[in-house]
Amino acid sequence: MKKLLVAGIFALPVAVSAHHGWSEYDTSKALKLTGKIVESGYEHLHGHIRFAAPGKTWAVVLAPPSRMERRGLDKGMLKPGAIATVESYPNRDKPEEMRAERIIINGKTVELR
Amino acid sequence: MSPAPGGALGALEASGLGQAMRQWLWLYPSVETVHLVGIGLLFGSIVVLDLRLLGFSRNISARTLAKHVLPWTAGSFLLIIPSGLLMFTAHATEFIDSPVFALKMGLIMAAGVNAALFHTITFRTADVWDSEDMRKLPPPISARIAGAVSLLLWISVIACGRLLAYF
Repeated sequence: MKKLLVAGIFALPVAVSAHHGWSEYDTSKALKLTGKIVESGYEHLHGHIRFAAPGKTWAVVLAPPSRMERRGLDKGMLKPGAIATVESYPNRDKPEEMRAERIIINGKTVELR
Repeated sequence: MSPAPGGALGALEASGLGQAMRQWLWLYPSVETVHLVGIGLLFGSIVVLDLRLLGFSRNISARTLAKHVLPWTAGSFLLIIPSGLLMFTAHATEFIDSPVFALKMGLIMAAGVNAALFHTITFRTADVWDSEDMRKLPPPISARIAGAVSLLLWISVIACGRLLAYF
């Protein structure tokens, strides 16, 4: 009985943590948009840009800045005014937000996941 | 995501410290690491005592064990609280709006109350139930409940901390 109790207690967080950060985004609706960076934050927990694409300005969630830097997407490349192509998935609940799988900027493709 | 304007929490987020937490490349991960080490120390030290209160390892005196582990439990807060406050500073307005954050703080307080009740009531009589003879029997039900509640609460606190990233 005691062993069962202990096993149950330790199994609990495993079940809870199955939830993942990408599940908020609809990966069945991949978007590929080209537009202009309006505003950018090279910040923890995730970098982000305001991104003016034809017909709509999006809030795009990128990757943690340390990961972006390691993959060669440095702060200067995300300057407002820069043209970029973003492949991303829309947020299921927030119609203005999407999360980028990759970004193509200055002819360079950077994976963000 | 971006700092919200206005209010004391908005000001906290916009402060140099808040900005540094978001923008210095290695600060946030370093602070997170300190927080995690603190949690390891807190949970590790508290689990062994909780298991003892549940009736495991009764060859070890609960009082001796408590004397050994509880200073480490208390010390772990020196790592956890400053690092937690720093992370709060980075995204104060988001944390304050998060039901998971409120739940986490509530659970921490509940764990504190549980510990306080145990130490002021049940542990006072430990010289009886923790004596060498009495240790052949399981600890009193109040000690077992305190241990189980503590385990459940701290596991829930850790789960809430992790879920903060996903809600």
